[in-house]
Amino acid sequence: MNAVEINGLYKSYEDGKIKALNGINLTIAEGEFVSIIGPSGSGKSTLLNMLGALDVPDSGSITVAGQDLKSSKKLNEFRAESIGFIFQLHNLIPNISVVENIEIPMFTQKMSSNEMRSRALKLLDDVGLKDKADMKPNKLSGGERQRVAIARALANDPSIILADEPTGSLDSKTSSKILKQLIDLHEDKNVTLIIVTHDMDVAKLADRVVEVLDGEIISAGDDSLINSKIDV
Amino acid sequence: MSFLKFILKNPFRRKNSAILAIVGIAIGIIVIVALGGITDGLVNTFEDTIHAGGADFQISGKETGDSAYGTNTINASWTDKIAKVEGVDSAYPIYVVMTSVGDDYRNILIGIDPAGTSLADISMKEGRIMEDGENEAILGEIYADDNDYNVGDEIKIDGEEFKIVGIYETGDSNMAGGVFTSISKVGELMDDEDSISNIYVKVKKGVDAQEVADRIDAKYGDDITTVTSVMEMSQMADMLNMLQASTWAISLLAIVVGGLGIINTMLMSVFERTREIGVLKAVGWSNKRILGMIVGESLVITIISAIIGSLIGFAACTFLGPQMGIDPLFTPKIFIQAFAIAIAVGIIGGLYPAIKAVKLPPTEALRYE
Ligand SMILES: Nc1ncnc2c1ncn2[C@@H]1O[C@H](COP(=O)(O)OP(=O)(O)O)[C@@H](O)[C@H]1O
Ligand SMILES: [Mg+2]
Repeated sequence: MNAVEINGLYKSYEDGKIKALNGINLTIAEGEFVSIIGPSGSGKSTLLNMLGALDVPDSGSITVAGQDLKSSKKLNEFRAESIGFIFQLHNLIPNISVVENIEIPMFTQKMSSNEMRSRALKLLDDVGLKDKADMKPNKLSGGERQRVAIARALANDPSIILADEPTGSLDSKTSSKILKQLIDLHEDKNVTLIIVTHDMDVAKLADRVVEVLDGEIISAGDDSLINSKIDV
Repeated sequence: MSFLKFILKNPFRRKNSAILAIVGIAIGIIVIVALGGITDGLVNTFEDTIHAGGADFQISGKETGDSAYGTNTINASWTDKIAKVEGVDSAYPIYVVMTSVGDDYRNILIGIDPAGTSLADISMKEGRIMEDGENEAILGEIYADDNDYNVGDEIKIDGEEFKIVGIYETGDSNMAGGVFTSISKVGELMDDEDSISNIYVKVKKGVDAQEVADRIDAKYGDDITTVTSVMEMSQMADMLNMLQASTWAISLLAIVVGGLGIINTMLMSVFERTREIGVLKAVGWSNKRILGMIVGESLVITIISAIIGSLIGFAACTFLGPQMGIDPLFTPKIFIQAFAIAIAVGIIGGLYPAIKAVKLPPTEALRYE
């Protein structure tokens, strides 16, 4: 089964003046590691948000983790169960501890406080930050915060991780550490990993690089585009 | 971490804003609690005055008009008839006559039933009440003082020797200078055992005395007349109604002002946390949960305000009230009312900001700097 199937996806903003997605076709297999690369404003984040059901397309079809996102009513449940988001900025909640931040997505599941805590500590251990569990996020370095965000993305054991420029605000050393962590995770748990980036060094770590320009896919890193061109 | 713990932590991220909102709502609650305690205290004092002991009104013979101690008599059977009127708790006869008492050629002699002194609004200061039908008398403290009588002395009434068995005190100045013996003894002295002069009437608690008096007037108005001090009562009742109305008006004001304050505080909080709310949506929180979080935070602020306001209102009234001659009364009702208002303000004030938060498109929330 495919993790992602997108056909003829369009999305515009401000009454059609901004065409963010201009007829996207994309298929991603389950367990694949794909990077989406393109210049700023090319529609990468918009595409990723569509995959995570944070936004709805104007037209076209989109199926993620077996769910048709255009007809599904329970998008929040889909996000809670199937998707783990990682953003450029960690977006941790400042007034609660690191471990409590990892528990935030677990509120959507039927879990007791104790279950939540032990699972969150386990995830924190996996990213090597167990000793910082009770600290507030602002006591952590940028790289550490992003590792907490990775742990949070894994809170409900999603089948797909969506990362939007996850290393965009980190130095190159920390950046490669984070990327290694994400890749390990993808390999260990066989999760589908989709990373948006404008950095080719990051993009080429993936099994496949999808290139986006002006809301269109100019290269899908396989022969799908060539095939579709032949069809025309 | 429980959801409740998360909600409890959030309102204090901006301490000043939360404290300001708490102070505003707490002031409203203080006023509601204090006014409630004062009003209930006054109602209680008022009802004690009216209903403990003393009668609500009296009944006289028709011709005596408004003079309570006229010499006209009515038939003793009226007592039973009045006692049966709807709303009457008890009817109590007295027999007031003018006769020779002690050194006075003519003075007031009052006959009462020794068993029912509470209605006549007298209480024994010294000695005991007289025995029914005996040559025994009790004197008002003023009469006893003025004429140098003590318990145990003899006093001549209507030509007979009476033993003074007690001295009474009373709030009724008409009676403080009086001399009492049993009503049956007065009848015997007057040779008229079927007559009485007045009936004291006490109405059932919670029944309007004026209504009962009107009922008696309507039924028996041709023969007897009711004398009430209802004027005073209705003025007092008006004042209490006004106090109660102003408590409600202030409560309403507190709801409006407190509600606006909390809407403002929570809107600011939602606005500042736009990105965070986007993240909550991204991790799969339902709209219901986000709504619950914001309304919950609003309730945390108003419930804290209610606790602080109730404590201060209660303490201020308890310490300051007696100094101003008011004896406040705090029933659970007052605090339930204060908390109900605080909860209503919390829900109403939190709902609009919560709906704003729910309606935020997640992508825009996440783009928000
Ligand atoms: N919510 C939005 N409202 C208006 N314009 C938007 C919105 N989201 C994205 N855009 C616009 O759509 C285009 C694509 O944006 P985006 O997907 O964020 O690009 P990228 O992530 O590749 O930099 C840009 O021109 C951006 O300004
Ligand atoms: Mg982007």
